[in-house]
Amino acid sequence: MNSFASRYFTDLPKTALSASYWIFVIYLLLPLSLMMAMSFKEASFIAFPIQSWTLDWYAKVLQDQQFLGAVGYSIFIAVATTVIALIIGVWIALLVAAEGIWGRAMIFALACLPAVVPGLINAISMRIFIRVLDIPTGTGAIILGHTVHAVPFVVVMVLTRLRSMPHSLTDAARDLGADNFVAFLRVTVPYLAPALAGSAIFCVLSSIDDFVRTFFLGGYQPTLPMLIFAKVQGGMSPEINAMATIVLIVTAAVGLYAEHFTRRSKA
Amino acid sequence: MQPVVQFRNVNKLYGAMPAVADLDLSIAPGQFVTLLGPSGCGKSTTLRMLGGFELPTSGEILLDGRDITRLPPNKRNVNIVFQDYALFPHLTVGRNVAFGLELKGLRSDAIHRRTMELLALVQLGDFADRLPSQLSGGQRQRVALMRALAPDPDVLLLDEPLSALDAKLREQMQIELKSIQQRTGKTFLFVTHDQEEALTMSDVVVVMNGGRIEQMGDPHTLYASPRSRFVANFIGQSNLFEAEVMGLEGEMAVLSWNGHTVRARRNGNSPATGARVAFIVRPESIYCLGQTPGDAFAVPGRIGQRIFKGSHTTLEIELPGRQNVTAQLDPQALARLDGDDVLVGWRWENAVVLAD
Repeated sequence: MNSFASRYFTDLPKTALSASYWIFVIYLLLPLSLMMAMSFKEASFIAFPIQSWTLDWYAKVLQDQQFLGAVGYSIFIAVATTVIALIIGVWIALLVAAEGIWGRAMIFALACLPAVVPGLINAISMRIFIRVLDIPTGTGAIILGHTVHAVPFVVVMVLTRLRSMPHSLTDAARDLGADNFVAFLRVTVPYLAPALAGSAIFCVLSSIDDFVRTFFLGGYQPTLPMLIFAKVQGGMSPEINAMATIVLIVTAAVGLYAEHFTRRSKA
Repeated sequence: MQPVVQFRNVNKLYGAMPAVADLDLSIAPGQFVTLLGPSGCGKSTTLRMLGGFELPTSGEILLDGRDITRLPPNKRNVNIVFQDYALFPHLTVGRNVAFGLELKGLRSDAIHRRTMELLALVQLGDFADRLPSQLSGGQRQRVALMRALAPDPDVLLLDEPLSALDAKLREQMQIELKSIQQRTGKTFLFVTHDQEEALTMSDVVVVMNGGRIEQMGDPHTLYASPRSRFVANFIGQSNLFEAEVMGLEGEMAVLSWNGHTVRARRNGNSPATGARVAFIVRPESIYCLGQTPGDAFAVPGRIGQRIFKGSHTTLEIELPGRQNVTAQLDPQALARLDGDDVLVGWRWENAVVLAD
C-alpha cells in the first residue's frame, strides 16, 4: 500500500503530463467524433439523441454531381499547384544551397515570407495584385495563390535534405562523365526523393484545405471547401457531415502515410 | 616516353593565399605516384585541378599531350576515387560501377560484362545487386575504386581513400591497391598525408609543403637522402644536428660538431668552408657500444629512457651539450650494452647533409 502510494506521488509530474495529454486528445477528437456520428443519423436535423443509423447520407453525397465536381476541381488545382511549387521550390533551394551566390540569405528570407504572412492579408493582396495585372479570378488565380503559399514549405524541406547531401556525390557524377544537368537528374533528384514526396503531399493537402485564398481569388466554380461553406450557409444537414467525414478520413490517411514514408526514408 | 600528365608552371590562388605555387610536375605512364604532405600543402588542390574541379589561376595542365586546363570534369579522361567514396546511395553496386559506362553510351551487354569483370577483380561479383549502405567500409572502398576504373581513365586519382578505414584494413587495402595498379597497368595519382602509405605503395613520391614540391623521388631515395629538414622530419624519424663545415672531400663533408670532427654524406650540397649546415642521422643508423670501437667516431652518452616497441627498443640518449639523440636498437645490440653509459656513433654515409 505504502509503495503504491509512493510510486504515484514520485511519478506525479509524469502522471500530470500524461493526463494533460489525454485531455488534449479528447478535446481534439470529441468534436470530430460528434461530427462523424451525426453523418450516420437518420434524420435531417443535427441533434442528439441519434435514434436510428443510416448510410443514406453517404450514398447521397457520392451521387451528388456538385460534390464530385468540387472534389475533382480541388484535386486539379492541388496537382497543378504541387507541380509548379515543386519546380520553383527546388530551384530556390538549389540557389540557396549553392556557394558563391550573392544574397543567398535574402533569397531564402523572401522565399519563406509567404509562410508567415497571415492568409487573409496574403489573399487580399493577391486579389489586388491580379486586378492590377488584369488576371481574371478563377482557376489560374487560385493556382497562383496556392503556389505562393506552398513554395516556402518545399524550399525548407528540400533545403534540409540538400544540406545533408555530400558535395562529392555530384562531383562524382560529373567526374564519371555527366554534365551538370545529367548529374542533377540522375543523382541530386533521387537523393531529394523523400523531401520531394513529403513536400508534394504537403502541397496537395494544404491546397485542398485552403479556403481564404480560394475565396478571394476564385471564380464561380467552387472548390470543396467553398462548396461546404456554401452548403453550411444554407443550413446544416447530415449531408455536410458526411462530406466532411470523407474529406477528413482521406486527408488523414494520406498525411499519416506521408509521415510514415518520410520517416522510413530517413533511416 | 611522353608523360601522361604534365603540370606546367601551375599556380592556384585562393584570394591572395597561394594554395599551389609554380608547380611543375611530369608523371610517366603506368606509375604509382603519391602526393605527400601535411594538410594545406596543396596536394588535394593539385588533384582537384587535374580532375577539373578547380581552375588554376595560371599555368597549364596537359593530359596525354593535350591541354585540358579549362575542360570541365566530364570532358577529361581522368576519374577520382573520393575520400568519402561518394557512392550513389540510391543505386546498386552494379549500377554504381556502370554509371560512367552508361554515360559513355556503351551497349548494355558490354556494360554488364565490364561491370561484372571489374567486380570480380575485387571479389565483389556476388554483391552487384546490393545497395552501398549494405556494404562494409572496405567493400565500399573497392566499389568506389572499380567505379572510377570502369570508364578506363588515362589517370586514376585517389584522394586519401584509405583515411576512413581502420589500421588493419588500411594495410590490407594498401597491398590490394598496389596489386590492382600493377595488374591494370594504370597510372595512379594518390594523395595522402600518411608517409607510411606513400612509402608502401609508390613508385614516385612527391613531397609537398606550402604549395610547392619539396622533393620528388622513389621512396628509398627520399628516406635515405632527404634534401630538406621538412622532408627529413616528414618521412620517418630523424636526429638533427647542426655543425660547421671544415671542408669537402669528394662525396664527403668534413664537419665540426660539438668539438668533434665528424664526416657526413654531402648529398649533392656544396657548402662553403665555415658555413653552418644541418645534417641528420636516422635512429636505426645510430649505434651504441659499451666501449670505444677502435678508430671509429663515437661520443659518450647516457641512456635517459628505454621504450620497448616489440621488435626493437627506442633509446633516448643524452649527449654532452644538451643534445639528445634517439636510437633504435634490436634485441641483440641491446643485450650487448652494459649499464646506462654508452658510446654513440654512426657510419659517415648514414649522416646526410641537408640543403637548409
